[in-house]
Amino acid sequence: MAEQVYRLSKSEYELLKKMQEKGVTEGYIEEAAEKLNVEKTSLASLIMLLSSKGLAKIDEEIESLAHLTDKGLKALEEGLPEEKLVKLLIEHNGSLDINTIRAELGNESGIAIGQAKRKGFITIEGNTVMLSGDPKKILDDLDELRSALRKVREDPSFEPPGELVKRGLIKIKKIKRMRFKLNVSPNKILEKSVVEVAKLSSNLISSGLWRRVALRAYDVSAEPPRIYPARKHFLVEFIEMLRDIMKELGFIEVRGPIVEMELFNFDVLFQAQDHPAREIHDTLWIKEPRRADLTEYKDVVERVAKIHEEGWGYKWNPEIAARLLLRSQTTSVSARVLTQQPEPPIRFFTIGRVYRSDVVDATHLPEFHQLDGIMGWPGYTFRDLIGILEEVARRLGLKLKLKPGYFPFTEPSVEGYVQLPNGKWLELFGAGLFRPEVLEAAGVDYPVGAWGFGVERFAAAVLGITDIRDLYTRDIGKILNFKIKLI
Amino acid sequence: MPVLRFKPEKLIKLTGLSLDEIMETLFKLKCESELIDEDLEVEINPDRPDLYISEGLARAINGLQGKRKGWKKPKIIDSGYSLEVRPPSTRPYIAAAIVYNVNIDEDFLEELIQFQEKLHDTIGRRRRKVAIGIHDLDKLPSKNLRYIDESLDADMIPLDDTRRYSIRQVLENTTQGQKYGNISLNTDRGTHPALYSGEEIIAIPPVINSNVTRLEPGTKHVFIDVTGTHRETVNKVLDIIVTALTEREGAYIGSIKIYTPQGEVTTPLLTTKTLRITRQLVTQTLGLELSLESITDSLGRTLHNVTIEENSIIVTPAPFRVDIIREVDLIEDIAIALGYESLGFNRPVVESPGKLLPESRLSRVLRELAIGLGFTEVTQLTLISPKLLDYTHFHERVEILNPVQYEYSALRPSLIPSLLSVAAKNVHARKPVKVFEIGMIVKPGSPPTDHLHMALLIMDDEVGYEDIQASVYSILRILDVDFKVEPTSHPVFITGRAARLLTSNGEELAIMGEVNPEILEKLEISFPIAVADLDVEVLARWKYKTSNRH
Repeated sequence: MAEQVYRLSKSEYELLKKMQEKGVTEGYIEEAAEKLNVEKTSLASLIMLLSSKGLAKIDEEIESLAHLTDKGLKALEEGLPEEKLVKLLIEHNGSLDINTIRAELGNESGIAIGQAKRKGFITIEGNTVMLSGDPKKILDDLDELRSALRKVREDPSFEPPGELVKRGLIKIKKIKRMRFKLNVSPNKILEKSVVEVAKLSSNLISSGLWRRVALRAYDVSAEPPRIYPARKHFLVEFIEMLRDIMKELGFIEVRGPIVEMELFNFDVLFQAQDHPAREIHDTLWIKEPRRADLTEYKDVVERVAKIHEEGWGYKWNPEIAARLLLRSQTTSVSARVLTQQPEPPIRFFTIGRVYRSDVVDATHLPEFHQLDGIMGWPGYTFRDLIGILEEVARRLGLKLKLKPGYFPFTEPSVEGYVQLPNGKWLELFGAGLFRPEVLEAAGVDYPVGAWGFGVERFAAAVLGITDIRDLYTRDIGKILNFKIKLI
Repeated sequence: MPVLRFKPEKLIKLTGLSLDEIMETLFKLKCESELIDEDLEVEINPDRPDLYISEGLARAINGLQGKRKGWKKPKIIDSGYSLEVRPPSTRPYIAAAIVYNVNIDEDFLEELIQFQEKLHDTIGRRRRKVAIGIHDLDKLPSKNLRYIDESLDADMIPLDDTRRYSIRQVLENTTQGQKYGNISLNTDRGTHPALYSGEEIIAIPPVINSNVTRLEPGTKHVFIDVTGTHRETVNKVLDIIVTALTEREGAYIGSIKIYTPQGEVTTPLLTTKTLRITRQLVTQTLGLELSLESITDSLGRTLHNVTIEENSIIVTPAPFRVDIIREVDLIEDIAIALGYESLGFNRPVVESPGKLLPESRLSRVLRELAIGLGFTEVTQLTLISPKLLDYTHFHERVEILNPVQYEYSALRPSLIPSLLSVAAKNVHARKPVKVFEIGMIVKPGSPPTDHLHMALLIMDDEVGYEDIQASVYSILRILDVDFKVEPTSHPVFITGRAARLLTSNGEELAIMGEVNPEILEKLEISFPIAVADLDVEVLARWKYKTSNRH
């Protein structure tokens, strides 16, 4: 048989220690608490816990405590009302008119007559009240009641005659008192005890006390407090993932201005100056300054003028090209890069914000990110371009479908659709080989492929976000609670 | 992008294909299509105005299917109609033609109007560059037409009306007049272009036609006028229309003699040009070896006329193919005829390593550190409300000339207003609220410039300068950056509780401080806030310069 081990909480252990020291193993809670110098209530609950472990026995006693009411005090000092009546009758030779009695005893006269009559001390004939029986014997009886009142005043535990309680001279209060007795001596318990603790503390470990304690089992299925780690933003994470893919594919990151000249946003890209995309409904211009200085780009301007005038058959206007707008496509960055005529082979990419004249709703933002990649070298072909789209889609884990497309600055042009995990096809890539007009405007003599896509719509589809505005939420709760999706 | 909507039955009949096959072929022709109720909705790229009508779509589909090759000029007769032009200065060019046996029924009338509208909206630049009038030939009062600049007092019966009005009244009182009345109005002379048939005005281009020549179901033959500001486009649009209408059974063209001060011309011109490509050029562009037969077959199926001349392939695109500018445009057609999916691809080979911008690399480090310090990342638009910038005292900023919504009509010159608006949204969130953003700001200038910044914000029951200072110092010390600190003032901060950090060569690296309660009150934020804004680009320059030294 296994040896009896007593599992104790830390406070139970400490109480037993005190009991052992002070030799208090039984008694009323109040008294024991005083002796042990502990809180009455905590002692009571600890004794109950010990009793639930079978280490203590608890008896509840109900005690009556009597005390005199105001009426009782008065009766003790002045005599009971019927006593007063009997004494009055003795003074008047055993009989008196009832009205005289009322006058003498006041509002006590009713009780006095009632009590005296009930006890047979008096008889009443008409209006006359007469003493009946031996006056000495009567006074002795009454004295007994008086002394009971006195005893109650001296000792609340004295049990008074019921009559006094009934008449409201004495009140009885019943008190529950808890008595306990340990079933096993503190020595024995402590000898074989193990202390249970909720939290393992540094103290327990460094003192070695942990060896003597028991680590209480928890309700491991209970819900813990809710806490949130600081989070990276899911849209930024998505963009960083794209950056990584581009870097892995050997692309060098570049940047271009957000506030851009129409020259790079449209003209170098062979978009005619009367093209609908350049109208007020589709382009966001800035208030100040309206135009940039083209002097720095003299060569580009000359080539662009020639190409537009030959290609579109109109008089090209540098004033329009100089206007400053919020770029509508990151192809403007690619256009800038090309005008710097980099040595082939080239692989550049940019991820940046672009701006549109759209009213904000669940599917439209006035600004969003675009990824734009360009690559090229002598001998670069359309099949190389399709290859990069295939590769990017493959690294995103998505299937690709091609469709001929139209962009003013590429030919052949292609649109790439990707199949999302939910089976739906999303129009993602816009791509193509830069038109010869664009390459001539930039001054580049090798073929260049360009491709890109809008990030937000793609990110929303992949992340399962139905309202695109949630990508730019101000509600931190939405970021802290965002469920991670991996593709 | 133009979207057509029409009943697909005719297309099914003209192509002999099922609806599914049609939709599949349209996809290969750059067009996405969807069946909505009984109608087919087709999205068409603006480079192919010849496809804005079922007849044009059927022609292209039948070509791609190999049912027709190349393009044959339709029958043309001299109509005997003549047009005298005294060119209005605001809209000098006109071309006109007749198409006989168009035989308009209710469905076709709808499609024809749609065709006209789509042409107006795209190649016509919303009627500025080109506008089209289509009339019932039999209702023309006279074979003699005149296109002139007319006084606004001249009268006409506008479409959908029966009474006569002066041109002035039509411009002022009809919805068409209000919408398009200013395009070609000559305000100096008080005139407007008008097209007469005999003594009746049948159109005031680009605004409205006369009700006299209105089209209706039952109209057999049509007279078409195209006016505009660009001669070549005017003629091309007429070519597009007549070549689409002559796709209808029995239809043929009647030409019109036009007398201008420069001389006489007969329209439609149906001009074509000739391009020369070689097999090598096709191979070089697509990266695919193709036989001469395959190339000529592909060009034929995209309706180009092809002849072979020694090593060259001589191509004559149909006159409606306005998108064919250079050789590459033909090469795309070859790829389309072959099918993009059948071209195959070259898997890219990575020969040299890729590289991220210094600020992109540094941002990743900064994000790690901020997360480690318990800041959650937010990201906000660069477009911001000017009111928020006024509240936070950022008055130097770039504003948009033609914004769509006031809330998005300025570019943020600092990240601090963005983060304060995030804080305002999270006043009731569990404290402390600690957020950061790495994003673009735009500084005014000539031209304005954008810069990558990072901002950190703490909002709590009690929070102060030291809290944000500790975070910033922690980041900068881990980055091993030398910096100096000095008191600064900006109305966004409490006086005496703001500092700026400088690199040892004096560039401003960061500002930080406690936000002025006057601003907090305006933003209805009842908690103190400390905030910092770091210039990531300065930090990146400094960091990479000093790192490279070691």
